[in-house]
Amino acid sequence: MFLAWNEIKKNKLRFVLITGVLMLVSYLVFFLSGLANGLESLNREAVDKWDATGIVLTEESDKSMPQSSMTIEDADAIDANEIAVIGQLNAVATSAENKANVAIFGIEEDSFIMPEVTEGESFSNENEVIASDTLLEEGFKLGDELELSSTDEVLKIVGFTESARFNAAPVLYGDLSTFQRVKFGEAAGENENQINAAVIRTDDLSKVTIDDNFELIETETFIENLPGYTEQSLTLTFMIYFLFVISSVIVAIFLYVLTVQKISMFGVMKAQGISNRYLANSVVAQTFILAAIGVVVGFGLTLLTGAFLPAAVPVAFDLVTMMIYGLVLIAVAIVGAVFSVWTIVKIDPLKAIGG
Amino acid sequence: MAVLELNQVTKSFGEGHKKVEAMKETEFKAEKGELIAVIGPSGSGKSTFLTVAGGLQTPTSGEVIINNQNITKLAEKKRSNIRLQEIGFILQSSNLVPFLTVDNQMRLLDKVKKGNMTKEELEQLYNDLGIYDLKQKYPSDLSGGERQRVAIAKSLYSNPSILLADEPTASLDSDRAYEVMELLQTETKNKNTTTIVVTHDTRLIDYCDKVFKMTDGVLALQ
Repeated sequence: MFLAWNEIKKNKLRFVLITGVLMLVSYLVFFLSGLANGLESLNREAVDKWDATGIVLTEESDKSMPQSSMTIEDADAIDANEIAVIGQLNAVATSAENKANVAIFGIEEDSFIMPEVTEGESFSNENEVIASDTLLEEGFKLGDELELSSTDEVLKIVGFTESARFNAAPVLYGDLSTFQRVKFGEAAGENENQINAAVIRTDDLSKVTIDDNFELIETETFIENLPGYTEQSLTLTFMIYFLFVISSVIVAIFLYVLTVQKISMFGVMKAQGISNRYLANSVVAQTFILAAIGVVVGFGLTLLTGAFLPAAVPVAFDLVTMMIYGLVLIAVAIVGAVFSVWTIVKIDPLKAIGG
Repeated sequence: MAVLELNQVTKSFGEGHKKVEAMKETEFKAEKGELIAVIGPSGSGKSTFLTVAGGLQTPTSGEVIINNQNITKLAEKKRSNIRLQEIGFILQSSNLVPFLTVDNQMRLLDKVKKGNMTKEELEQLYNDLGIYDLKQKYPSDLSGGERQRVAIAKSLYSNPSILLADEPTASLDSDRAYEVMELLQTETKNKNTTTIVVTHDTRLIDYCDKVFKMTDGVLALQ
């Protein structure tokens, strides 16, 4: 630490440059992780809200809720602690000049997937819905009448709920009958038992028995199979991992150049009997200081930027993930320093002093 | 009792017809409290002698014994520790760390070993060498002579039992050179250590107890 810190103090500019690069890399990593996290919640927050263990879909639906079709009786036949039936369809909702892609969830009011109303009240009459509060930000209000793209039915927003987006679309929660009217129009009466899926909450998913025509999947599997979800998150995760490699290489190159410049100095110290271990520790300590400062500054800048971003940018910072990524960045920087440690170990003190 | 002993030591470089014998068979003994000069023209093998004696390189044959410990066969890690604990080097090239102030050069030694000079002794040493006012300066702010004196202070600071000096007065003017030699003499006597000075400056030999001459790899007592 002594050597490391004194060298940083004496050669401020060159170490500020290294720290600056590390800061920018960590800024990018943190931002991408925020973006990845934001895009994920965009797709999954409505599902997360269910706090469900699994979901039953038809076998032929290939894990896609809109493609799955079953009846309430099918759902009742499932042997699980708690079962909630759900009907779902996508539509475009229009109210005056406001237009939005929405997902309509038809649910039973007393089931566990019923959202908590944060503004207004719950649906009680025909065609009343609780809307995701992201619609509020887009200009929709309580009492708005929503015209739908696929039907003549008009829905009325009577309440709002938090964090309710499904596959990037704000959710409208309504009664099962409302959903059926929207979906089947005049044939709603004949289809009053039609739903898309059954959501299950239970202690042990493996004990739940279902019919052969159906497929029981864990909630996480269901989320991963949402269109585009895995592709998006894999792309961003790949970028983040690649940045880890880049920062390791950057640190390795910087430190290696610095170390090569100091070969004769290290040689003289080794001639005096200062151990490789002490010198290696010093280089590692130095890397740690630089990386830690870079990461902390990058962290602060990310949060600062996040505070000023428009709501349309889907970033959501998860502090725990960011801290883990920060620690990984520091760790890979230290891996980069190992290269220099190796160089130091190989220095022959005799050559260094020109003996 | 000998502090430093070289028995039948030879050192050669290269092989076959390119082989160079830098040190022919050498017998050498240094006792406590002795200030010894090794003189000789450049290329005579003086520096080889110093680095072999200081454990910086191993002899081709023979053995080097420091404080009753045969260091010839020791691994570099152990020799490194012996250099740290027992030996002080004053090298021709400056052995200062460029990013440490004069004071911190000494503190670095405190970090890696015990038994260094006390604060009072160090201040006295600074005064004796005339570098007291330079304590907070970096090596790049010092003149060649000042750097050399700081290097001397650094090697004495660790209280080595053997001090090996390669042309310690090279960048000093005559007056300063004599002062440094007097200081080395006093340190050697007071602390009962051994100092070996390699030099081609024959004016310095008046301060020394023994003078060896190195000619073409052969070391002979004068």
